[in-house]
Amino acid sequence: MSKYAYFPGCSLEKMALSYHQSTMETTRELGVELQELEDWNCCGATTYFHVDELLAYTLVGRNLAMAEKMGYDLVAPCSACYKNAYFTSAYLKEDQDLADHINYALEADNLQYSGNTAVKHLMEVFADDLGMEEIERKVTHPLTGLRVAPYYGCQIVRPKKDHEDVEGPVFFEELMTAVGAEPVDFAYKLRCCGGSLIITSRDAALSLIRDLLQSAADSDAAVIATACPLCQTNLECYQRLVNQEFGTEFKIPIMYFTQLIGLAMGIPKKKLGIGTEFISVDSVLTYAQKSE
Amino acid sequence: MSEKVGVYVCHCGTNIAKVVDVEEVSQWAGEQENVEIARDYKFMCSSLGQDLIIDDIKEKGLTRVVVASCSPHMHEKTFRAACEKAGLNPFLYEMANIREHDSWTTDDEVAATQKAKALVNAAIDRVVHQEPLEPIQVEINPNTLIVGAGIAGISAALELADAGNHVILVEREPSIGGHMAQLDKTFPTLDCSACILTPKMVDVGQHPNITLLTWSEVEAVDGYLGNFKVNVRKKARYVDEEHCTGCGICIDKCPFKVVDNVFEAGLGERKVIYRPFPQAVPKYPVIDVENCVYFLRGKCKACQIFCPTEPNSIDFEQEDEILQYDVGNIILATGFDLMDVTRIPQYGYGRLANVFTSLEFERMVNASGPTDGKIVMRDMETAPKSVAIVHCVGSRDNNYNVYCSNVCCMYSLKFAHLIHERIPDAEVYNCYIDIRTPGKGYEEFYNRLLEENTHFIRGKVADVTDAVRFPGEEGKLIVQVEDTLIGKQRRLPVDMVILSPAMEARYDSREVSQLFRMGCDFEGFFVERHPKLDPVATMTEGVFIAGACQGPKDVPASVSQGAAAAARVAGLINLGTVMMEPVRASINKELCSGCRICNDLCPYNAIVFHDDQEISEVITALCQGCGTCVAACPSAAITGAHFTNEQLFSEIEGILWDVREKQAVPV
Amino acid sequence: MADKPTFSEEVSNLLHASHGNPLTTCIQCGTCSGTCPVAEFMDHTPRKLIGMINADLKEEVLESNTYWYCASCFHCTVRCPSEIDIAGLMYALKRYSIWNHTYSEEFIGPVFSETFVKSILRSGRSYEPVLAPSYIFSYGVREFLNEAHTATNLMLKGRLPVLPPRLKRSENFKKMANRIIPMGEAK
Repeated sequence: MSKYAYFPGCSLEKMALSYHQSTMETTRELGVELQELEDWNCCGATTYFHVDELLAYTLVGRNLAMAEKMGYDLVAPCSACYKNAYFTSAYLKEDQDLADHINYALEADNLQYSGNTAVKHLMEVFADDLGMEEIERKVTHPLTGLRVAPYYGCQIVRPKKDHEDVEGPVFFEELMTAVGAEPVDFAYKLRCCGGSLIITSRDAALSLIRDLLQSAADSDAAVIATACPLCQTNLECYQRLVNQEFGTEFKIPIMYFTQLIGLAMGIPKKKLGIGTEFISVDSVLTYAQKSE
Repeated sequence: MSEKVGVYVCHCGTNIAKVVDVEEVSQWAGEQENVEIARDYKFMCSSLGQDLIIDDIKEKGLTRVVVASCSPHMHEKTFRAACEKAGLNPFLYEMANIREHDSWTTDDEVAATQKAKALVNAAIDRVVHQEPLEPIQVEINPNTLIVGAGIAGISAALELADAGNHVILVEREPSIGGHMAQLDKTFPTLDCSACILTPKMVDVGQHPNITLLTWSEVEAVDGYLGNFKVNVRKKARYVDEEHCTGCGICIDKCPFKVVDNVFEAGLGERKVIYRPFPQAVPKYPVIDVENCVYFLRGKCKACQIFCPTEPNSIDFEQEDEILQYDVGNIILATGFDLMDVTRIPQYGYGRLANVFTSLEFERMVNASGPTDGKIVMRDMETAPKSVAIVHCVGSRDNNYNVYCSNVCCMYSLKFAHLIHERIPDAEVYNCYIDIRTPGKGYEEFYNRLLEENTHFIRGKVADVTDAVRFPGEEGKLIVQVEDTLIGKQRRLPVDMVILSPAMEARYDSREVSQLFRMGCDFEGFFVERHPKLDPVATMTEGVFIAGACQGPKDVPASVSQGAAAAARVAGLINLGTVMMEPVRASINKELCSGCRICNDLCPYNAIVFHDDQEISEVITALCQGCGTCVAACPSAAITGAHFTNEQLFSEIEGILWDVREKQAVPV
Repeated sequence: MADKPTFSEEVSNLLHASHGNPLTTCIQCGTCSGTCPVAEFMDHTPRKLIGMINADLKEEVLESNTYWYCASCFHCTVRCPSEIDIAGLMYALKRYSIWNHTYSEEFIGPVFSETFVKSILRSGRSYEPVLAPSYIFSYGVREFLNEAHTATNLMLKGRLPVLPPRLKRSENFKKMANRIIPMGEAK
């Protein structure tokens, strides 16, 4: 059984509890153990970097140090947490000065980080570490005919880690195909949802959310699958406000990719956190039919 | 052994003298063993400086000379010639580089002077062990191999052939003409490309001095300047060139078509037996074996059935031929490939139907192209009412190609003009970062365009998408770009988008360069001997380059380079013989154990093994003096002339002069 | 180099540890601004802002709303042909603006960010209810009511935390932060 150090992030405590629940259910089913980092702290999201860069890296460093102590790779379901952890680890490794500053601070909590922990987004665990074949094996209720808009968002692919193709990733589509669904050509799959702009620059965020919803509607998507709690919250919880602002009539369910995988694996909807949405996902549930 | 060494320390103005205390170095040198005279002088390379050496050799009977100055790349030749003029063998001269290796690397005067002493000492200690050597005379075979028959190769071939020299012109495709044959009009004159190219093509095809091998590739190259042996694979056309009249009935009757991804850039089709274009030279068609029903399933044979010649010109049994040629020089003119723009997904090529590459568009506007010169969308019918032309696709971009591709601004302007000409009401947008029009008549061409109603938008296109955001965008391609001159993001709804992709090196340029034993740069373009002063020669003697294979360039520049390479070759042919450096390896027969380790290591295949005596021998003329075998021989049986062990070890000991004498001064 | 640095030099210093190329390598191609999904809301596009920085137009840059609209989606950074970290620049300008208190009062971003940071330092994890006052009163009446409506729904669905979080090693956490704060502070 493969094991990871699990960093849920602040949103998964309550706001995106369903993401946490569906994550735990699906990984367990697939033989992956996620051991939560004990006493993890906020990663700083994007907002901390607006104020103090060094302290922001330190916050992330504490979580990385704890993962290193556990001896497992770090896995983060939230794209912002993932991005922060990945790059903090990378910068610490190449910049001795930064490492010294941060380790000096970490000493206060009896921690040190030497840069040897790999950081993965939760989707990488499914798409790369487990692989599509492994997931297909566990699918009992293929989501045949379900038109999914695979919404990557921004921070799961950007900034570049190496020289990979960031303009045409296909791993999310492949994952959806593996669970029997039909990923649609979603033109804005890499476009930002606005993140924290929903608070600080609401006009811009609503415009971005509207464009995303419209794009999904144009592709006849029955559901938008997300990989980040901010994306999910923005697209779902503010859909009503978008309709109000722009006179649109969107009613598109927004689900976490883990929930869709869970449905395809026959896991009961309650366990996947389904029931706390603003927009009903009942239409999606009908697609999870047991295959013969 | 006592020699009389003359040491000359150059100031090089302030280049050396500013950092190195040249007077001190010169004085110090004069006190060293074997040194007869030491001088310092402002500019050793000047006539007066050279005279110092010449006079000293004559008057003081110098037997060795050391000049401490710049890099051998600069003036080794100068000072060797000076020695020779004074009657001293030029290989009894050694150079110490106290500029590029010393004064230009540091501001620390103490350290620099100390290092200069070390370098000079090394040169002195080495030079006393040097032997006089005589250059090797090499005959130049008057035949020339030219690889690639695009406009650069054709220019080179005609220059040489018209001057009475024999040329073997090898072309990979079934016809000569290269990319230029695909173009419609050429900037800035808007001459029809085929009209100006085909006369040259006909010339080549009919020239008595040109052996034209199309549908052929060079497979092996052996030898050296003046004496190359090349193997050319003449691929089977399955058409008998002796009897074929080029009537083309076989092509008419062939029942099968395939997409032509080469000449028609995927926009049109051709038959399975085909000529790439009507004015192809030579006229003989070629059968595409991978798609021919006869070769796949043994059926059809329509071409053979309808061929009117007696005997029949279709020969399914034809085989590839390997032809061998002896040539004196080689010119590579292998051209370029257009970048694969699916590498830039945000421009939508391949996903969005009406996004075209420049080469596709050239074929479209070409009168003999797949649309008979009509500008239409991917449905091959509807004319676009609005077109956006995107400059700098994959050029000037750290993420793809850093360089500017030279020609795209001009042809993008050309496209705008052609669209206005054929669709007078069309809206045309050129989205650019800069308009680069350096050539003769190019800026004037741009001015002409400025009066034609093209919308010039200064901004590099960010996205080409079909995702609608605003009314009026339905069914269109939207080009999203910042109009930097007004500082606003704009969305341009258009029917068609033309991309101007980067000009890249041929996909196999690295393999080709290895075949001819010369180098490629980081991007895959062939490396010239000197970017400013010698753009058509390479570091390999006897191999020259011309045209886009050396770097992105337009037709006039390619023609110039083709002619330049031809002139260099003609000069060598005219000389008849050439002197080559005697820096060669030789194997001591007594010491050779016959282990043959050196045989396979030699990059120039210059070592032969004599089975009867069971020893190896270096073929002096083929040897390029790289030293690999010298280092590898476990019996130390191989000597590298002018780089003997004795010379090299003396040089090393010379550098360590201050450590040797336990004056540990950090340098 | 005892002279006061120019504004462009100041910004270069801010980006000293950045993994992108210097701002001076900008060829003003406009790819960033063409790509930016919120460019239409900015008073100066990202490209223009970089031009202004290179021209030392300090006041205009600091008054601009450009970087407060940046969602840090990094699309500009990955496409920039000169490989400048433009999103990183936006972060740097936000920090500069907050440290030197040069931001306009109408921006919600700065106050929200400061409140967020304080709440993290206090309890180690984010707690949405404590953030609300930092922005909700800057909204107009209609938006205030809308936000209250959304918040109520979230609460009813059990998606808003009720109690503030607490770290186990809260003391250590604060000590850790204090080891950085004197260093991180700019004056």
